[in-house]
Amino acid sequence: MYDLPDASHLIEAVYQHLEMNIAPMLKGDAAQRKLYFQTLVAINVLKVAERELVLRPRHLKAEWGRLNRLQEIDLHMPENSEELADLLARRNIQLCTDIRDGQYDSPENASALLAHLTMTAQEQLEVANPRFLQGLAAEDAAKK
Amino acid sequence: MPEPKQLSEQIAAFIESQIGQAVTILELEQLAGGGSLDTWRIRATSPDEEWHLVMRRDLETVMVAESLSREQEFKLLQAAYESGVRVPRPRWQSNDPAVLDKPFFMMDYVEGFSIGRIIVKAPEAEPARQVLPELMAEQIALIHAIDWQKHGLDFLPAPQHGNTPADEALLSVRKELYRLDIHNPAIEFGLRWLDKNQPPYQLSLVHGDFRLGNFQIGLPYGLNAVIDWEFAHIGDPLEDLAWPCVRDWRFGMGHLRLAGIADREPFLQTYERHTGQAIDRTAVDYWEIMGNLRWAVTCLAQADRHLSGRDPSVEFASLGRRSAEMQMEMLRLIQATGVG
Repeated sequence: MYDLPDASHLIEAVYQHLEMNIAPMLKGDAAQRKLYFQTLVAINVLKVAERELVLRPRHLKAEWGRLNRLQEIDLHMPENSEELADLLARRNIQLCTDIRDGQYDSPENASALLAHLTMTAQEQLEVANPRFLQGLAAEDAAKK
Repeated sequence: MPEPKQLSEQIAAFIESQIGQAVTILELEQLAGGGSLDTWRIRATSPDEEWHLVMRRDLETVMVAESLSREQEFKLLQAAYESGVRVPRPRWQSNDPAVLDKPFFMMDYVEGFSIGRIIVKAPEAEPARQVLPELMAEQIALIHAIDWQKHGLDFLPAPQHGNTPADEALLSVRKELYRLDIHNPAIEFGLRWLDKNQPPYQLSLVHGDFRLGNFQIGLPYGLNAVIDWEFAHIGDPLEDLAWPCVRDWRFGMGHLRLAGIADREPFLQTYERHTGQAIDRTAVDYWEIMGNLRWAVTCLAQADRHLSGRDPSVEFASLGRRSAEMQMEMLRLIQATGVG
């Protein structure tokens, strides 16, 4: 067991440092515009990593379950997270081959696949850019 | 990379060689943006004239291997200029490494601002937003009318071996995925869907990056120049109508489909009026899906520049995880169009 702070705390400490001490120093300085922009990107990237640490185990399991339903098989899900990620990557390579071979061309299969892929993209965005998802939801609500 | 002082002397010597008069450089400023090119703004004076120029010069790494050379971009700009498209007037070009190390060309500087997120939101850009949809339609119609053979633009990438423009686009995405060794089911599904749902097509000169960010916007005219021609090719003109609609080019104003400034329909109708041709909206949707697919893969390719250690950069690294935005948009558009 490691002492605290854990990886999440460490990541948080770094982006807080960038937000509080570095970004304000660069803001508004024309000569530092690029560095300021890169610093904002760096802060954002650390927040992505922070969310990934929290959400990854849940997302990997959910994707495994969806693939089982999509492919109508009941493959046993590995307990170990790294093993799960590795096997998921392999299943996705196979899924790519199946898509290329036309196994999801029928409207029913295509719809089921599309639903699965949309859910996977949604999970990716919960980590990478939750605000993007909020924007889409707001837009959809306004259309109705 | 030479120091600006040395660069300034080299630039002066080059312009002198072109105009046959002594030249003094008054101002030399490196411009931001354009990941694949080194861009400079130059103010110079010669006995007879004042010069305000922009130089585009190659960098070491090229963002997309298929983009045009500076020499080709210069010829294309000449064709557009002669055809009445609003572009910076092209001036001189050289590939001689003795001049400025890398191939480059120079063109007139055009006043205006180009930053997308400012154009879609800033109150002072409101008059520009009013006129832009019409002007974009007018300019892209002019571009599509350029006779590329007559202008000697046969070097432009064009569909090969009886491929359709969509085949060609899908093939380049496939090559890129193979190079990057990426197996992404959403992208694979997009490729499959786009392959099976290809609309009828025509061929024309295609700008290839016709979107906010590549327009010099100013008032009162609104659209002072269409810039960044390095991705021009022969393809389906609808590609250029769809690209400014791709969500990422709405700069946060997602509900306004055309470039984050307006609905798409007035833009398409103006284009139809200029070309005298009816446009199939579903085919424009198709190219918007294609645009998202390609942008999704380009993001992954940019991330690879970091991952491979070639260009370590937090910015490139971050783009890898932005790909999911384009994937999501592509899936939503396919859903709206119909999976079958």
